[in-house]
Amino acid sequence: MRASAVAGIVFANINDSLMKKLTAMRSMASVPFGARYRLIDFTLSNLVNAGVSSVGVIIKENYRSLMDHIGSGVYWDLDRKNGGIYLLPPFLTSGTKRYNGTLDALYGATDYIERCGADYIVLCNADTIANIDISAAVQSHIDKKADVTLAYHKGKAPRNNADIMFLNVGRNKKIDNIDFEIETNDSTAFYAGVAVISRDILLRLINEGYSSGALSFTRDVLACMTGKLKIYGFEHKEFIAVLDGTNAYYNANMALLDSNVRRQLFKADRPIFTKTRDDMPTRYGTKADVTNSIVADGCVINGTVKNSILFRGVTIEKDAVVENCILMQETVVSSGAAIDNVIADKNAVIGENMVLRGRSDRCVFVKKNQIL
Amino acid sequence: MNSKKCVAMLLAGGQGSRLGVLTSKIAKPAVPYGGKYRIIDFPLSNCVNSGIDTVGILTQYKPLELNDYIGSGKPWDLDRSSGGVHILPPYQGQHGGNWYKGTANAIYQNLEFIERYNPEYVLILSGDHIYKMDYSKMINQHEETGAACTIAVLEVEPEEASRFGIMNTRDDGTIYEFEEKPANPKSNLASMGIYVFSWDKLKKYLTEDEADPESSNDFGKNVIPEMLAAGELMKVYRFNDYWKDVGTVDSLWEANLDLLNPKIDLNLSDHNWRIYSRTTGMPPQYISSTAKVENSLITDGCEVSGAIDYSVLFENVTVEKGASVEYSLVMPGAVIKKGAKVRYSIIAENVVVGEGAEIGTDPAVSGTKDWGITVIGAGLTVGKQASVGPKKMITENIGEGEKI
Repeated sequence: MRASAVAGIVFANINDSLMKKLTAMRSMASVPFGARYRLIDFTLSNLVNAGVSSVGVIIKENYRSLMDHIGSGVYWDLDRKNGGIYLLPPFLTSGTKRYNGTLDALYGATDYIERCGADYIVLCNADTIANIDISAAVQSHIDKKADVTLAYHKGKAPRNNADIMFLNVGRNKKIDNIDFEIETNDSTAFYAGVAVISRDILLRLINEGYSSGALSFTRDVLACMTGKLKIYGFEHKEFIAVLDGTNAYYNANMALLDSNVRRQLFKADRPIFTKTRDDMPTRYGTKADVTNSIVADGCVINGTVKNSILFRGVTIEKDAVVENCILMQETVVSSGAAIDNVIADKNAVIGENMVLRGRSDRCVFVKKNQIL
Repeated sequence: MNSKKCVAMLLAGGQGSRLGVLTSKIAKPAVPYGGKYRIIDFPLSNCVNSGIDTVGILTQYKPLELNDYIGSGKPWDLDRSSGGVHILPPYQGQHGGNWYKGTANAIYQNLEFIERYNPEYVLILSGDHIYKMDYSKMINQHEETGAACTIAVLEVEPEEASRFGIMNTRDDGTIYEFEEKPANPKSNLASMGIYVFSWDKLKKYLTEDEADPESSNDFGKNVIPEMLAAGELMKVYRFNDYWKDVGTVDSLWEANLDLLNPKIDLNLSDHNWRIYSRTTGMPPQYISSTAKVENSLITDGCEVSGAIDYSVLFENVTVEKGASVEYSLVMPGAVIKKGAKVRYSIIAENVVVGEGAEIGTDPAVSGTKDWGITVIGAGLTVGKQASVGPKKMITENIGEGEKI
């Protein structure tokens, strides 16, 4: 396949409203995850690992942190003369408003899709954490001469996301039907946030959908096409998390404490790339007691940490006890503090001897820059 | 070509033979340090932080890994369209070519490179020291005094002075004599191997040095004494912070463990003076339920289920359940299997230490007679239940149950 045959489109603000606390100051794509990543790292790495070298990122609002994270795209090798990364903010021409759905968003990206020169476009949702073999999905798309190939996973489906597609996968992976409101179980096939679409078909669907006033590309366009287009499924069998709320976010982070999940997400042949920060390695002091935890570089630990995720530059002072927590970049837990089931956003400070206890299904949330 | 005020030339061609097996496949400046760095990150980061954006790196010995590591210079912000980082290996000219004969000859062979930037000053650095230094202060002093050459010096303990090149100076810092490793040192100002030359003087003396068939073409042995003899104004620049030559196994080990000593001022997390390095796409470290980690530095990609005390684990190291690592450096990709004990050792890249093996000894237990740091060379395998005593330099695989 020629180098530019496949291009990617990323919906950066997808389902922002399901994670209001975490997206108050940022887009879904730039929500911090797994000690050193932002959600978009998974999508971008999946694309790049499949040889995709042109990616359009559709952004709508709150995108400062995302722009800061992506920069020139160098961390994903997307600082290219040909292709590379394109940020696609909304057009605000007279009489139009910011888009409301994925179809509007795609309509705004029509220029990019026309000019990128690719035969196949891979649509990716930034709310999905998985290491998906996009190269195999594209190959399956070509082999089956499909119009649309939808990646799916069989498992416990995210139920707070009303827009998630449930796929009726038939013989030879043909998708006969797409539903939204069905009874789900632990092996329901649901959309894994990655779709491969032949470019001309995508452009046609966007134009037709836009003229008819459709909002959602999945619900209002794709779901109505099962009889008319050749839609196939591509099964992603390994770990996936589609974030449909703060609980899902918490659970997806905690899933990293399972070595099987780490093996499925972080692969030597398909690494997850992210912006580097040149922190020094993490320093463990004499009083450090760390167990079952994921820790990024640049932390200084002198207290107790259990079952937790520590992002870059977190400080745990002496006699502090941290359990079942997600502490983002530069959080400080002062001496004598005891926190359990807490999500602390960037630069939060937990004061001396402070006690904070949440529940695993209802974490205490400490806002960015908040000092307690 | 834009002219530059100062061009840095980094001597990175040395073998570092005293590091033994650690430099059998890589040049000394590429030796890993401090969990995620290489020695060369220090002079390169110092250059960038000091506002020097043009650096020539002179390579000769085993340059492959070093070249890969430097790449375009991106991690240090040295990928520039004007200036930036340049790898300068020895080359063939119309009348043949030569290996770099000595430090001075290496620079002499690259006068053309410096000429392109027409600098006022040339900073000569080496790739074997761990330190943070603002070279711009040294260049300012050089400019103010109008010296032909300024040499950075460090006060060393008088009893150690005979291991260094010693500068004998007048009260105003003017050098009147240079003695290489003197038996009876007159001063304790040791040369750090960092020189600032005015470009015209450097060119003149390197050209004269090259024409002298008797010369061994070395800065310390030839060029500096020649300049002094000719009556050039030479000054010392005093440096008082942390500086360590990591030329031996013991000093490399010490310099790493210095990072764990709160009394030693070597802060690598200073946001105003970052030490940059090339990083790979590793996931964060995982410390398991059976792990016990104290007084240690651990970085990305590590999976720790054993006990770690007073040690530095580099990228992607695995320490299995029941294994222990004390007072040791475990370099990238190494695996310490179940129940193995590693003490006072340097485990080089991608070594596998088998189940129950024992490497090195604690001097408090085995006594200090014949004691020393044990080194296991890169890529080697130590068999199950094998044991390796203190002060060993291992260059071949060790079989199951073998005792060395």
